[in-house]
Amino acid sequence: MLHNHFPLEVSHLVKTYALKNGVRVEAVRDVSFYMKPGEVFGLLGPNGAGKTSIISIITTLEKATSGSARVFGEDVDSNPYFTKKQMGVVHQEIVNTGFFTVNEILKFQSGYYGIRNNNERIDYLLEKLGLKDHREKNVKQLSGGMRRRLMIAKALVHSPKVLLLDEPTAGVDVHLRESLWQFVTELKSEGISILLTTHYLEEAEKLCERVGIMNKGKIVFMGSTQEAIAQYSTKKVYIEFNSGEAAVYTETASAGLVEILAHHKIQFTDIKNIKIEEGRLEEAFSKMVNT
Amino acid sequence: MIAFLTLLEREIKRFLKVIIQTLISPIISSFLYLLVFGVSLGASVTLKNGMPYLSFLIPGLMAMGLINNAFQNSSSSVVTSKFSGDLEDMRVVPITNSQIIFAMGLGGVIRGFLVAAVTGLVGTVFHYYKLGEPLYVQHPFWILFFILVGGLTFSFIGIFIAFIARTFDQLSAFSTFILLPLTYLGGVFVSIETLHPTWQAISKFNPLFYLINGFRYAIIGSSDVQLGTSIFVCLMGVVVTYIMARIALVKGSFSRW
Repeated sequence: MLHNHFPLEVSHLVKTYALKNGVRVEAVRDVSFYMKPGEVFGLLGPNGAGKTSIISIITTLEKATSGSARVFGEDVDSNPYFTKKQMGVVHQEIVNTGFFTVNEILKFQSGYYGIRNNNERIDYLLEKLGLKDHREKNVKQLSGGMRRRLMIAKALVHSPKVLLLDEPTAGVDVHLRESLWQFVTELKSEGISILLTTHYLEEAEKLCERVGIMNKGKIVFMGSTQEAIAQYSTKKVYIEFNSGEAAVYTETASAGLVEILAHHKIQFTDIKNIKIEEGRLEEAFSKMVNT
Repeated sequence: MIAFLTLLEREIKRFLKVIIQTLISPIISSFLYLLVFGVSLGASVTLKNGMPYLSFLIPGLMAMGLINNAFQNSSSSVVTSKFSGDLEDMRVVPITNSQIIFAMGLGGVIRGFLVAAVTGLVGTVFHYYKLGEPLYVQHPFWILFFILVGGLTFSFIGIFIAFIARTFDQLSAFSTFILLPLTYLGGVFVSIETLHPTWQAISKFNPLFYLINGFRYAIIGSSDVQLGTSIFVCLMGVVVTYIMARIALVKGSFSRW
C-alpha cells in the first residue's frame, strides 16, 4: 500500500487557539497518526486533550495551524468535496433538530451526498439501529439514546469508507452502549475504518486494535491496548504460603509468573494459594496522562 | 445539484412546518397595515399626482413583506441550525459554500414571495372594494425581477448577520436598529416628494429606497426613481451581499451555540 493511500493520515498537526485575553493555547501539538483499512483506531485522553480538535480539523470545521490531514491521500482542505464523501461523522454533542422527522432527516442527509432514492439504505440503518418504529417521529419526541442512534444513522447513510465517532457512547445507558459496540464491530467487519474518540477505556479495549493516548495536545502513547498495559501498568501477585505467611508482589504487567517467582526465589512447592491481578488499561492511562 | 436541491427543499419545508409564524403572522400584519393606513387613514391622504394612497401603499407593503421575510428566513435558519448543532453537519457534508448560500437565499425568496403575493392579493381585494377596480400589475417581468433580486439580497444579508452574530441579541439588534429604520424610511409608507429636502437627499443613500421604488414601478407604473437606477442598485446589492455572505461562511463559525 502506498503511504498516502491510508484511509486517514494525520501529519504533524498543530492547532493553536487565541483566547480573548491574547493568550495562545496549543490544543494540538505535532500530532501524527494513520489508520489502516478496516481498522478501529482509538484516540483516548482526558477532557481538553485535543481529541475533538483533531476531529474538527479532519472534518474541516476548524483549520489546522500547521500540518495536514489526508483521506485516501487527499488533503481535507485542498479537496474537501472528495474527502467529505469518504467520511461519516458522529459529533460528540447530540443534534436537536426540531423541525423534521427521522425519515426526513435521513433523506436530507442522503441528498447532501448527492443520493436520491436511498430508501433501501435508510430502511437497513433504521432496522439495524432500532429506529424503524420511530421513523415518522419528530426528533424532539426521541429519547437521548435514540437521538444518538439517529446521528449514527446519519453518518452512515452514504456508506462511508471512514467513520469518525467522537465519543459516541457518552451519556448513553449500558444496554445501548453494548449494542453500539456490536454495531461498530459489524462496521469494522464490512471494512470501514473507524476513528473513535472515547473516555471509556473499556470501550477502547474492546473495539480498538490500536490507540493513541493524548495528553495536553500530544500523543504520549501509540500502540495496542495490550502494549499500553504491558508498558505502563503493573501486575499484582498475591501469594499465600504453606507456612501460613502471605505476600503481595507488584511487577510490571509484561512479567510472566515464572519470571516473578524466580526473581523472588519462590518455589512452586512452597505456595498454597496464588492470585494474580492483571495490569489494567486504567492504570496505564492514568500513568501516561499524569506524568 | 442534488445537494443544492435537497438543501432548498429542506429550507422550504422548514418554514412550512411553522407556517403560522413564518407566513400567517406576516400576512396578518400586512392586512392590518392595509386596513389602518391604506383604507382608514389613507382616505385623507392626497398624493401629488392624484394617485389613491391605497394604490401607492400596496407595492410598498409587498416589498416590505418580501424584505423582512427573506431576511428572517435565512437568518433564523442559520441561527436555529447553530443552536441545534445542524450547522456543524452542514460543514461536514460535501456541499459548497455557494450551494449553501443560494439554497438558503432561494428559500428566503420563496417565503418572501409568498408573503408579498398574499399581501398583494389582499391589497387587491381592498383596492377593489375601496376604488372599484383591482390593482393590476403593470410590468409582470419587473415584479418577478425585483422579487428575485430583492429577496436574494435580504436573504444573503440574513446569512451574513446570522453567521457573524454570537448571540440572539446581536441578530435582533440588526433587525431593530438597521433593517427596520431603512425599511420605514425607504418609501414604504410615504413618497420621497413629501419629505424635507434633507431627508430626500438622505433617502437616496438608502438602498431599500431603490428596491421599494422598483417594486412600485413594476406594479403601478410610476415611482420616485428611474427604473434603470433601481435595477442597477438592486443588482449591485445582490453582488455585494453575496460576497458578504460568502466571507461570513468562510470566516464565520459553524460551531453550535
